[in-house]
Amino acid sequence: MFWEFFLFELKFRLKGISTYAYFLFFFGMAFLSVAAEDFGPVGNGKVLLNGPWAISTVYIQLCLFGIIIVAAIFGTSILRDFQRDTYQLLFTKPISKFDYLGGRWAGSFVAITLAFSGMIFGTMAGSSVPWADHTRLTSGHIWWYVQPFLYFVVPQIFFLGSLFFCVAALTRKIVVVYLQGVAIFMVYVIGITVFSATRSLERFWSGIFDPAGLLLQDGVTRYWTVVEKNTLLMHWTGVFLYNRLFWTGLGLIALIVCFALFPMSVEALTAVSSKRRAAKAKHLEQEDPRPKRSLVAAKLPTVHQIFGPATTWRQLISLTRLRLSNILREIPFWALVCLLIAFAVNNGYFAGRIAGRDVWPVTYLMVQAVEGSATLFFYIVATLYAAELVWRERDTHFDGIHDALPMRETTDWLSKFIALAIAELILLAITMVCGIFMQTLAGYYHFEIGQYLKELFVVTYPQVLVFILFAFFIQTVVSNKFVGHGIVIGLFVSLPILFRYGFENTLYLPGQTPTYTYSDMNGYGHFVAALTWAIVYWFGVMAILAVFSIALSRRGSEDSWSARRKVAGQRLPRLVPALVFFLVVAIASGSWYYFNSHVRNEFLSAKQRRAIQADYERNYKKYELLPQPKIVAVDSKIDIFPERRSFEGTGTFVLQNKSDKPIDQIHITDSLQSVESVSFDRGFHKVSSGPRDIYTIYALDKPLQPGETARMTFKVGYESHGFRDGNERPELAYNGTFFDSGYFPYIGYDRNAELDDPRRRAEEKLPALEELAERGDPYWERVNLFTPQSDWITYHTVVSTSGDQTAIAPGYLKKAWTENGRHFYEYDMGPTHLADFFSYLSGRYQVKEEKYKNINLQIFYTPGHEYNLDDMLQATKSGLDYYDKSFSPYQFDQFRIIEFPRYRQFAQSFPNTVPYSEGMGFIARMKKQDDIDFTYFVTAHELGHQWWGHQLIGGQVRGSNMMSETLAEYSALKVMEKKYGADNIHKYLKHELDAYLRGRAGEIRKEPPLVLVQREPYVWYQKGGLVMYTLADYIGEDKVNAALKKFLDEYRYANATDSQTVAYPDTRQFVAALREQTPPDMQYLITDMFESIVLYDNKALTATVTETPDHKYKVELAVQARKAKADENGNETPMSLNDYIDIGVFSGAKDHEKPLSLKKEKLTQEHQTFEIIVDQKPTRAGIDPYNKLIDRTADDNLIDITSK
Amino acid sequence: MSLKISGLSKTYPNGVKALKNISLTIGNNMFGLLGPNGAGKSTLMRTIATLQDPDEGEIWLDDLNVLKQKNSVREVLGYLPQEFGVYPKMNAVDMLHHLAVMKGITNAGERKEMVDALLNQTNLWDSRKKALSTYSGGMKQRFGIAQALLANPKLIIVDEPTAGLDPAERNRFLNLLSSIGRNVIVILSTHIVEDVRELCPRMAIISNGQLLLEGSPAESLDSLKNKIWSKVVSTDAELTAIDAAFHVVSTHLVGGLHEVRVYSDSNPGDGFTQEDSNLEDVYFLSLSNQAKN
Repeated sequence: MFWEFFLFELKFRLKGISTYAYFLFFFGMAFLSVAAEDFGPVGNGKVLLNGPWAISTVYIQLCLFGIIIVAAIFGTSILRDFQRDTYQLLFTKPISKFDYLGGRWAGSFVAITLAFSGMIFGTMAGSSVPWADHTRLTSGHIWWYVQPFLYFVVPQIFFLGSLFFCVAALTRKIVVVYLQGVAIFMVYVIGITVFSATRSLERFWSGIFDPAGLLLQDGVTRYWTVVEKNTLLMHWTGVFLYNRLFWTGLGLIALIVCFALFPMSVEALTAVSSKRRAAKAKHLEQEDPRPKRSLVAAKLPTVHQIFGPATTWRQLISLTRLRLSNILREIPFWALVCLLIAFAVNNGYFAGRIAGRDVWPVTYLMVQAVEGSATLFFYIVATLYAAELVWRERDTHFDGIHDALPMRETTDWLSKFIALAIAELILLAITMVCGIFMQTLAGYYHFEIGQYLKELFVVTYPQVLVFILFAFFIQTVVSNKFVGHGIVIGLFVSLPILFRYGFENTLYLPGQTPTYTYSDMNGYGHFVAALTWAIVYWFGVMAILAVFSIALSRRGSEDSWSARRKVAGQRLPRLVPALVFFLVVAIASGSWYYFNSHVRNEFLSAKQRRAIQADYERNYKKYELLPQPKIVAVDSKIDIFPERRSFEGTGTFVLQNKSDKPIDQIHITDSLQSVESVSFDRGFHKVSSGPRDIYTIYALDKPLQPGETARMTFKVGYESHGFRDGNERPELAYNGTFFDSGYFPYIGYDRNAELDDPRRRAEEKLPALEELAERGDPYWERVNLFTPQSDWITYHTVVSTSGDQTAIAPGYLKKAWTENGRHFYEYDMGPTHLADFFSYLSGRYQVKEEKYKNINLQIFYTPGHEYNLDDMLQATKSGLDYYDKSFSPYQFDQFRIIEFPRYRQFAQSFPNTVPYSEGMGFIARMKKQDDIDFTYFVTAHELGHQWWGHQLIGGQVRGSNMMSETLAEYSALKVMEKKYGADNIHKYLKHELDAYLRGRAGEIRKEPPLVLVQREPYVWYQKGGLVMYTLADYIGEDKVNAALKKFLDEYRYANATDSQTVAYPDTRQFVAALREQTPPDMQYLITDMFESIVLYDNKALTATVTETPDHKYKVELAVQARKAKADENGNETPMSLNDYIDIGVFSGAKDHEKPLSLKKEKLTQEHQTFEIIVDQKPTRAGIDPYNKLIDRTADDNLIDITSK
Repeated sequence: MSLKISGLSKTYPNGVKALKNISLTIGNNMFGLLGPNGAGKSTLMRTIATLQDPDEGEIWLDDLNVLKQKNSVREVLGYLPQEFGVYPKMNAVDMLHHLAVMKGITNAGERKEMVDALLNQTNLWDSRKKALSTYSGGMKQRFGIAQALLANPKLIIVDEPTAGLDPAERNRFLNLLSSIGRNVIVILSTHIVEDVRELCPRMAIISNGQLLLEGSPAESLDSLKNKIWSKVVSTDAELTAIDAAFHVVSTHLVGGLHEVRVYSDSNPGDGFTQEDSNLEDVYFLSLSNQAKN
């Protein structure tokens, strides 16, 4: 019998179209993941698209969606007999439970495995298409396609299937079958989001308990380099093995439970409740009172019928109430509400965390958090209940009565719309309450109810309504509710995909609205107009569909299209006014939107913008090495008009020919289209100008002789017109303008404007991005790293803004005055040299100031953001003390921090001026004493740049970037260490280590050693900070600082003179300075950490303790240490060991260790044992316990000590 | 009032001809519509109840064009479909109040009076607060009757109203209907001949979309007077023989034996006894005549 059930099930599945549809789905998705590199999860870079890691990734992600399919197939296989009532026939036959359940289960298992095998064939087929990117494909590795399927997918099907089978068999409810897949999928996805929000580095237990494998794979492969990703498969060890064992075991348990509890009878396990229901029904039946009235029919009372507008209104109310109570009395609705609350509360809990750091859960963050998850539920409810409402009368068979009621179709339709609209209002209100509740719980009491109301009810709600209108229309048109669901969800899912493929126009992506960002400084600011008109437009469009929905709505018993069209024809005349109205609304708002986004402003898709960049490179790169004069002085007059989001101004550059040849052409790059006119203090004419004036060549009548200077005057400005379809310039805001010298003309060809993403370059048919020159390159060593068009400048500006704002630019304030109701400020830097890098800011600021050692410290902030002003000042003062003492004197007598809107999230160091995003330090919050004070760190880092970046600048060659970022990072670490202690820094560095290792794993070009870094932030920030800190730990902070001081003394303001006689420094001199201070037996550290990529694999193996007779503790610790050198792709070659590594013994629990003994030991062999005697009872011991060295398995360095 | 149906035809997309050129005039009082399953009764009723459009033909309710002025018809209509369901978790009172509002009874007092009266009449008073979805078949049917009688309808269309009612409730309903039906048009479709005989001064028989007979039950019976004969036969062979020789109207089982009724102008002899004609004979005879044509 088993075989019969098995074969029946298999045949049933193989006859059904759905099995093939699933197969095709997996085939197609897998195929595209390989054949179209843009499509799949593997992404950019050098990872093989059909390599083992890529295939596993594709399989795992497809399996995630497969959850729903597994639920559908396994669930229905057991439910079919109950749905079709064939169980009465079956269960009266002599069949065993094993045959029945086993056959059904095994048949489903085989069928679904066949369906999932589409992945294998899809990836294989994708690998062999001619148009795929063959540099990223390999062949001849059949096992790579099969192994992940056998190791991952099949166990996945087994345990998910068994689980779903068990639940379905025991509940016997179709709702449960369909819901369990979706529910697990959603819970999983949201769980992952929440887990990532905690920014936990934990990947052991989370990897084991991860049912769908995203975290599991991340845990196992997160630090795999390209080479490893292209050669290694996950195999039966460690976390992967435990995970598979755990979940397979759970699957087995589910099967056993199912077998043990499944009743071979009509009664479901939930029979108790159904018995109760039956009893109740019986009770009702009996209660059904017998007639006790006279047999003569009494006369019915006479009533009056009134029809007219008032009655229509009352009909609408009555219908709406009925429909609303239908929704509100449904358990699924409240189940969704409970889920919404659960997720809102959960996300709300993490609203006060950004990138693992605590911030105050200000209202915009809280709304964003609670609304983020809730929005999904708004749309789920809209999708589900739009269908329920449209189909309600038909589903309940009440249509016969309902449709014959004297009401207009419009009344009926409106009642559905209003009922759903009210249900959504309830959801929105609940979301708001969750937000306020979570703010209270987090101890934040500045509730901005207005902001909640605006975001939820003014911005989001209309978009939900637009979606509802759309869903109503689809459900009206289709002949089946589930087809309707498919179309509605399909649209929802396809919008982001379409957007990604370059269909970016709000006007044709149904329901699309331009992105916007709320800012405390600027409110909804300039986004209001675009957002409003987009919503009005889509509301208009969808309302037109709604009118057609009314005309086409089903009434009566005829469903055929011809009949409905005929009826629609009869109904339409009355609907014409509404149709015309909404048509006018849609056309008017759409035209206005088009006029603003396409006529007043140029509309460019991301691809078109890249094409402009590519053309620039193609056309003008030939001029890159053409000698051009350098800017030596800047004087400008800038008028900012924040209320118009515009500015205009004039500027003068003093240009000097620092080359040894005469210069007869001046080339100007204007990538932001902000330069209006250029003139020179001598005869000149325009030679040529590229499209959009992006590159203009001027010829000077009299060439500029070597050493000679010329004055170039120009007009700059930017005028905002109306609104754009997204891509608004973030630099210009009603409150919080912040733009920089990028809006000024750039002399010569600007290589920073080149596309750098390899894939995008390939798309534009550009060759690989030109690498930075080798150190010592005779041309580039004399070019300033940051500002190639200049070396150093003197600077003067007059900047004005509206009367209610303050304008700030680098320089000392010489004069401030008011003229025509506008504020004017004159800033002058005097003779102090600056990098040619300056900014203009304007906003309604409050100022906190302090004078510290004759230096004016100022913070320009938005009222309400006072939380961390003292912290910032404290960091500045400590930094000034430390840097002054350790490196060189501070070159300015002021330091200013200025807040700007969170459209951009960074802090940036301009000369004595640091624009600092409102989304970063201003709302940061220290919850516990030993938390990482990121505001303090960032402030110290930016201050550090006043030395490393504004005193010391390297040449435009490999490695130079580390001399600014790595050294600023190191400086900040030291300043923070002074306040918070070394333990706190170690905690911080663990995250830095993780970020570095992930950074190199995701490298799309190649990883350079630190001193040759080009464009790899993970090297110059995370690795740089870590190794500098470690070096200081090994050779001493004083030695490192002495090296830095000497290096800085020698190269500070290199090329600040008129002639470019010397090269800018590069990392060769920097390394030499470090080596000079490093003892001979530590020199290897510089070689390893700065000049190579070296990875350790340190591990504590065993640790035991015995108490000595004199009541001390002797710890015997066995460790393993390995060291390997990696090349730019991650290929490792083992190195011999001759290294000093920390060996430590600790008391206290895991993660709260206190050192009892910590010594650097010289290790020369892979395995070594140490004996350490400590005074207190130790608990933990290990090698390199603070992860000072780069180690890919950082968490096995310490282990618990066991007693002997 | 009178309802004039003329030349009504309807063919469904699947080719089924549900109505074939039906013309009828129905005045006040009860009108019985008899016919077998699938005869087109429900199509006709739904068409009159504005739920469906015919391909051809017209329906006038006095001077209302039923096919065009649907909402005006719906205002005076009370309709009980053959099968209907209810919204889950709604109780009878709330639902009736809602339907009363929909039917334009805007005066709350009148509405309450009417709803309460109907709940009493249909014997649902005690269950009025219970969810309709928990109602038994009979209770649900009574609720359907109640909602059809809200708002003193001028045109009542009840499709198989007595299905699922126990004998007592059936009587009560028929009484109620006939007490109302004197001044309004009531169209009652049924395949239970008895209902028509008891209630309807006029009736029609339709089958296969055709109108077979229209008239009063009494007239119809008159036409069969002395023409119905019956005989009890014991074997199938005998039955077959009679079927071949005579115009058999119907056969019934009586105590395990077949009682055969035949139509004959004169005594077919051979043990046949003359019977009083009943409406069922009219019905079966109409159907069998149609089958022969």
